[in-house]
Amino acid sequence: MKKTIVFAVLVFSFTLSPGQDLTGKQIIQKVNDIMNVETSWSKSKMTIVTTSGNNRTFVSESWSKDRGEKNLVRYLEPSRVKDQAILMLNNADDIWAFFPRTQRVRKLASHAKKQKMQGSDFSYEDMGSGDAFINDYDPKRLDDEKIEGYDCYRVLLSRKPDSDLSYSQLIMWVVKDNFVPVVIDYYDEHDAQRVLKRLVASDIKVIDNIPTATKFVMYNKNDNTQTEMELLEVKYNINLDDEMFSERSLKK
Amino acid sequence: MRDKILTKLADLHSSHPWKMLTGAIIVTIMFAFFAMQLSINMQMKDLMPSGDPKVDQFNQIIDEFDTATSIIVVVQGEEQRIKAFAESLAPRVVELVDTTQNVRNKQKILELENKIGTLRDQKKIADLQTQIKELQRRINFKLFQRVDYKTDTDFLSNHALILVKEDDLKNTGDTFSDPNLVGLLTNINNSLQKEYVEREKSMSTRDKEDGAVGFLDGIESLSLLLEQAVGGEELTKDEVQRTADKFLLGEPYFLSYDKTTLLLNVIPNFTIMDRDLLMVGFEETQALVNNLLIQYPDVRAGLSGDVSREHDEQVYSQQTLGYTSLIAMVAIFLLLVISFRMWVAPFLAILTLVIGVIWANGLAFLVVGRLNMMTALLSVVLLGLGIDFAIHIIAGMTEWRAAGDSIQEAMRKTFVKSGKGIITGALTTACAFLALLVSRSRGMKEMGIVTGVGLLAIMMATFIFLPVMLVLRERLVEYIRKKRGKTIVKKRDITFHSIGTAALWLSKRYVFTLVVSAAVSAILIWAALHIGYEQNYMKMEPKGLTSIALADTITEKFDLSMEYALCLTNSVQESRELAESFRELGTVAMTNDICLYLPSQKEQQQRVPYVREIDRRMRAASVKKTYSVSDLPKLKEELERLEMNVMEMQDMAFIGGQDKVDNKCKQIVGDPENPDAQSIFRRLLEKLESQKGDIALQGLTNFQQYFAPYFKEKVLKMCSTDPIKLSDLPVSVLDRYSNSARDKFMITIYPSGQLWTDADMLNRFVDDMERVTPKATGTPLVAVAWLKIAARDGRNAILLTLTIVFLLLWADFRNPKYALIAMIPLLLGVFWMVGIMQLSGMLLSFMTMMGVPLILGIGIDDGVHVMHRWLNEGKGRIFTVFSSTGKAILLTSLTTMLAFGSMVFSVFPGWAWFGEAMFIGVGACFVTTVIFLSGMLGWFERKT
Repeated sequence: MKKTIVFAVLVFSFTLSPGQDLTGKQIIQKVNDIMNVETSWSKSKMTIVTTSGNNRTFVSESWSKDRGEKNLVRYLEPSRVKDQAILMLNNADDIWAFFPRTQRVRKLASHAKKQKMQGSDFSYEDMGSGDAFINDYDPKRLDDEKIEGYDCYRVLLSRKPDSDLSYSQLIMWVVKDNFVPVVIDYYDEHDAQRVLKRLVASDIKVIDNIPTATKFVMYNKNDNTQTEMELLEVKYNINLDDEMFSERSLKK
Repeated sequence: MRDKILTKLADLHSSHPWKMLTGAIIVTIMFAFFAMQLSINMQMKDLMPSGDPKVDQFNQIIDEFDTATSIIVVVQGEEQRIKAFAESLAPRVVELVDTTQNVRNKQKILELENKIGTLRDQKKIADLQTQIKELQRRINFKLFQRVDYKTDTDFLSNHALILVKEDDLKNTGDTFSDPNLVGLLTNINNSLQKEYVEREKSMSTRDKEDGAVGFLDGIESLSLLLEQAVGGEELTKDEVQRTADKFLLGEPYFLSYDKTTLLLNVIPNFTIMDRDLLMVGFEETQALVNNLLIQYPDVRAGLSGDVSREHDEQVYSQQTLGYTSLIAMVAIFLLLVISFRMWVAPFLAILTLVIGVIWANGLAFLVVGRLNMMTALLSVVLLGLGIDFAIHIIAGMTEWRAAGDSIQEAMRKTFVKSGKGIITGALTTACAFLALLVSRSRGMKEMGIVTGVGLLAIMMATFIFLPVMLVLRERLVEYIRKKRGKTIVKKRDITFHSIGTAALWLSKRYVFTLVVSAAVSAILIWAALHIGYEQNYMKMEPKGLTSIALADTITEKFDLSMEYALCLTNSVQESRELAESFRELGTVAMTNDICLYLPSQKEQQQRVPYVREIDRRMRAASVKKTYSVSDLPKLKEELERLEMNVMEMQDMAFIGGQDKVDNKCKQIVGDPENPDAQSIFRRLLEKLESQKGDIALQGLTNFQQYFAPYFKEKVLKMCSTDPIKLSDLPVSVLDRYSNSARDKFMITIYPSGQLWTDADMLNRFVDDMERVTPKATGTPLVAVAWLKIAARDGRNAILLTLTIVFLLLWADFRNPKYALIAMIPLLLGVFWMVGIMQLSGMLLSFMTMMGVPLILGIGIDDGVHVMHRWLNEGKGRIFTVFSSTGKAILLTSLTTMLAFGSMVFSVFPGWAWFGEAMFIGVGACFVTTVIFLSGMLGWFERKT
């Protein structure tokens, strides 16, 4: 599930000190840079709420390449879905799935960015797939604010008129020390006053010299549900073959 | 002036007891007549302010939409049996008539016709003729207009495809291009394996899940029938065609996901406001269901829906009020017997109370017409309060008679000395209740007026009826004594020395007493401020009511809340736009509106090319007559492919958390976690392998000969591209979604969660509804609006009550300091009440919150009586004050506590909680009065 699951944070450059007076655009550029890791691998745990109201927990492995453009997720647990895999290409515009029971690969959907990700409260576009934060929104720095115990920059991202993304605007709290976005509020497409979802990231750890938020909770204020995700293991900048992100390799 | 009236009244009682008794009986009969007309309406909307737009909208829907009121028959059992039960029941229900009023109506018609013969005024004659027509309509009144338990397949058969969304036509249109079995299976598989296209953002997960389950249901039916065919079973034309219909149009019956529960929606010819018809309609339907169940012993059935709920609540509320009142009266009687050590006077007190309650109920009918959820408690509240008056009269009469006064003299003294106190006490409490008249909500306002006026009615009954009975009793006692030659009246000391001793001890150690009072109060105030609010409104629902238990069954089996919002629109277009906005909300599971059957002209036009293409391809398809061995490999391949497609759907559903789809798939392809679970396709394939070719081929050919031509004909019929207009819709659909003038349309909006068990969900749902349109209404919206209004009303009522009580006491004591001191125990008592509730694990609810303004009116009496007596007795008489008045306030508190305490036995938990809260509150006020005032008065006496 690409960086949406990994949400690994890579600080490419420490040339800008935290105290420096940055514009909203510069902050978002930094966020975008550190979120778009060239390659990554992670093992994660995600708990969803089923339509009957029960919790269901999945453990999966994910590989991401080309700064999140290609993603492969393979389920490990529960046993019922072991080895089931999902391949997302073109920033989740194209999705394929592999089903071990039938040993078949199926193309599931195109243009599914706005869809819910596997019964969770995350959608594929929530985490700024590709360069969405840069290309689809106009950033504006707001007053700084302390949130979740971090001194943060607060940035308003207003959707550009030609963008087709689902949110009218985002407000992002970015940790001054490491440019990790710890809170993102997602606003209704038609009502810029109404928060639809809030993502809260926590447990920032330095992994491979990269500050990485390892716990995420997406609060869906529209459905009053929440999805928790935890990164159990993460590796960055590993060697990943392009062949791995193909329909053929899904069966492996 | 007051003394003169009281003396005159006392004299009338002692000199003309029989005349007074006759008068009291006549008045009682009159009020009893009115009291019998009094009904209870348990609907939340009746608590709202009159003229509230939400209530007006709600009432308009109830008035104009037949389907807004219904009886839901819930039938449970095996699928085929419950369908058969429904088919037997439905036609019988619509035949039901009300005959209970026939004799009365015919008699009235006769009377009116005779009256017309004597009249010349044409206007009056016309009026009477209208009345006659209405009465004639009520003779053998047809109770129900129809029973909805199946979808209107005729309309769907003609227009099904134009009703399908454009994206779905794109995704699944190919399915309808070949009527032959193998071709159909191939098309289904191709459609399932096609890349999914979706533009419809507003389609909720619920809609998608239901759509998928419906589709899988059709596949399951088709596969099961094929299994029978291949196994050599003889298929009838009818069952093959039914399966084809089910595949094409879905399940016609209102069946639950697991197919064990079926609903019949019985639409009456009356509204929920027609109380008599409602009761008859329910009882007749219940009787019919019970009779039919004898023929279907394996089926269970019961009634739910708003009519049934109204019936059950009506019956149970009356029953519960009946037996709780009886418990209260017996308990009060026993208490009085023990404390007065006699039984005749307590019996007379209870009799007076019953008469007073009859008067109060009669007045309630005249003032408000019907009781609501809050005022239904009138009788029990008045039992607790009204007995106080009788206690004072009996105590006075007993005291003066024991002192040797004649009957007339004793009655005069009782009236003059106790009467004034009774009047002041009654007026103070009644004023406190009447302060609720400033409330916005009708519930609070009626509570104030009904209780205030009721209390005055009981006071009047006590002044008129009880003294007469006491006079007659005294005459009888005197007569018996004379006859037996006894002249000495037995003296009874009815004071409580123990209270006096305790109060004296506390007053002497006033520092200790006040410090302890303050410390205990501080703890209880802290606890009171931390009390929670009951978020689960379902806990307020009565236990054991069938209608409510079955509503839970519907919620569980159909995954649908029975509490939904409604919205009235002025046009189809408005309905379409609002329904679209509602569907986008996360709190909405689904909406029901006319646009399901009436897409916009633009939408219809967009769908036409797809429908025409289906029509073209189906027309071109030829119907295969027989199956040969050469067809089997392809058939097996497609069955295997279908099995895999369903398995993949199942796996995606599991990951996506769509449990209903996962469960449906389990029924078709088995449970991956259960190796013993069977796949229908596996069984079918095994039969194809194992059966002798001839049997399988013959079976397939039989299936094909019935299925393919019918399927083709049906699909072609469904391909009609004639624009659908409002007037084309069948009556059953129109009646469900529009009024009889067809100029108003109703949207039903079902929430995605349980509203009554989750207050947060309720508030979010209501907020969402109101954000879309202020026209949204329905019980959930009315309930939330009422809670807000009630909270504001309650706060205002508390402030006003406190002000009124303070002013009355100031006027009474002629000293604001004394008025304030008399009120302090009351204020502490309220905090103690809430604090004790918190410490004992109770939560506030809207019913218990209602108790706070009431307790202000009730609890003040204790402090007032003690202060009065202390001022009258003078310094150094604390022992006497509390021995005598202490006993009176103990008795009145205990009787009130018993009355409220009896409500613990109510089947309505909300009422039981109210009773518990009031029990604690009255007790707390008594304790704070004795402790705090003992200390305070001790301090005063020391100071002066």
